[in-house]
Amino acid sequence: MSALEIRNIQKRYGDVETLKGIDIALESGEFLVLLGSSGCGKSTLLNIIAGLAEPSGGDILIGERSILSAHPKDRDIAMVFQSYALYPDMSVARNIGFGLEMRKVPAAEREKAVRDTARLLQIENLLDRKPSQLSGGQRQRVAIGRALVRNPRVFLFDEPLSNLDAKLRMEMRTELKRLHQMLKTTVVYVTHDQIEAMTLATRIAVMRDGRIEQLGTPAEIYDRPATLYVAGFVGSPPMNILDAEIVGHQVRIARSDEVLPLPRDFKRTTVSSGPVKVGIRPEALRLADFGASGARLIADVEVMELTGPELVTTATIGGQRITACLPPRTALATGSTQAFSFDEAALHLFDPESGRSLRAA
Amino acid sequence: MSANWISTRAWLLMLPLLVVMVSVIGWPLVDTVRLSFTDAKLVGTEGSFVGIANYEKMLAGSNFQRALVTTTWFAVVSVAAEMVLGVLAALLLHQQFRGRTALRALMILPWALPTVVNATLWRLIYNPEYGALNAALTQLGLIDSYRSWLGEPGSALTALIIADCWKNFPLVALIALAALQAVPRDITAAALVDGAGPFNRFRFVIMPYLAGPLLVALVLRTIEAFKVFDIIWVMTRGGPANSTRTLSILVYQEAFSFQRAGSGASLALIVTLLVTVLAAAYAALLRRAAGAA
Repeated sequence: MSALEIRNIQKRYGDVETLKGIDIALESGEFLVLLGSSGCGKSTLLNIIAGLAEPSGGDILIGERSILSAHPKDRDIAMVFQSYALYPDMSVARNIGFGLEMRKVPAAEREKAVRDTARLLQIENLLDRKPSQLSGGQRQRVAIGRALVRNPRVFLFDEPLSNLDAKLRMEMRTELKRLHQMLKTTVVYVTHDQIEAMTLATRIAVMRDGRIEQLGTPAEIYDRPATLYVAGFVGSPPMNILDAEIVGHQVRIARSDEVLPLPRDFKRTTVSSGPVKVGIRPEALRLADFGASGARLIADVEVMELTGPELVTTATIGGQRITACLPPRTALATGSTQAFSFDEAALHLFDPESGRSLRAA
Repeated sequence: MSANWISTRAWLLMLPLLVVMVSVIGWPLVDTVRLSFTDAKLVGTEGSFVGIANYEKMLAGSNFQRALVTTTWFAVVSVAAEMVLGVLAALLLHQQFRGRTALRALMILPWALPTVVNATLWRLIYNPEYGALNAALTQLGLIDSYRSWLGEPGSALTALIIADCWKNFPLVALIALAALQAVPRDITAAALVDGAGPFNRFRFVIMPYLAGPLLVALVLRTIEAFKVFDIIWVMTRGGPANSTRTLSILVYQEAFSFQRAGSGASLALIVTLLVTVLAAAYAALLRRAAGAA
């Protein structure tokens, strides 16, 4: 039985179609991340699940029951907002317990639930404070507490970490992961941050222009991107995408003499010759000898940036840029010509027209 | 350029304004204080110094006490009604519906009208012979015969309060509407998910955002209502049987109708003092509210 089922959800504002038929079924305990850039429809979808927006078509089921006609409070969901959305006049304790208060849970029971939740989130000492007296991270914990205390069937998170600074964001990410592992709750989490998506999700739905571009586990999304968009969106630095051409059993990089063997799982039925896009992740590239066998590219080193853990190297092949993430102490000179090798499995081919992967399913 | 010169230049630039202010506000105020200690008439005698006799007479007089009660009643009832009506109107105009923008613009109309025009309009509505109110109430079967709403001591003040509310609730509505628009959407959404109904959402979520701006509206409106003159002067001139005689009307009558400049001045200063106390109390309240936020 699915904990949450999204069936062909559509949303139109006049002539503008922001959601073009979304289908996702979520098992109990799954952590689904809706990932995409702003305007892709991910927040609209979340608001529709929450009941804060109405879909133009489709259905949503929680535990086999359609919830579209139900009021947000009757949907057995809890939501954490990007802006925390704490009630400014109430103490932390009352903020957390407000949902229970509105549901007329007896005071003693409510107080115990609030205390337990506060202990879980390590904010017991803040219970008497007002939100204005809290730091961003503390406010976010209160907002999460407000959702947790009600023990709903589905948790909705709308970019909950994007107002935090980088260090705090990482801490809270780990905290969320810990909570999820401990509580085994079903979560739908919206973000544009691919690191959050990769680290938190059990499944990621990459969204673009109101459609799901790819739905899969983080490993699938990273290792087998279904489209050029997914390939470019997930991964930092993004995947290198080069113009190329299929010639027989080889791929020739445009405006160069560099040729690569066609990957074994290449779907020959779609394209047998002509232009393609080649994708290689920067972290798949290694420095190699010119004489080394296997897949390799020769490129001219342009810029090197030491980030600490790695040396991000930018080089050019036939006027096209590629980025390689090399070990930090790699000896390289700007302007030199270098060979970069990689596993054949790390090579991705995409149809330049449709952007779809040419890998056999 | 030295700081001294900048400061000198600032004073020079402000000089014309200061001259105008001293001559139109400062000097009349000082002269009013002087007058209030004399028995001067409006025309003719310069008057002689009588000490605090004017103040004693005015404060002890039944006219003053009655006017104070009338003014307080007028201010409390009209401001309270304006606040409630204004907030309700703002809540309504904050909803999404077709024609909202037009309605918002229309709502400002009563407030934008000159008070004299508004007062005249309401006099027509209350007219004992052909007024719309009489017609409406008779046709609804609520009254048997036409009444003189402004001519009966029992109804005149209430009729005035209604007219004043109609004119001034849009100001409160405008302020409340602006405050409503500042309530973060996420917070109302959170309250919705938390299961708060319309009343609880208003009380716990929206009201904290409205309180500050409404306090400002309350201060402005109370002080204005306490000083009310024009609408009453046009509609009833303080009558019938002095039932709508507020402090400002009393000051006018004392100084200009009875031509007693000395006692009129003392009365005017008493009103000024009362309004100042009111303003100071509100200012303290505002400061405390700002400190709490």
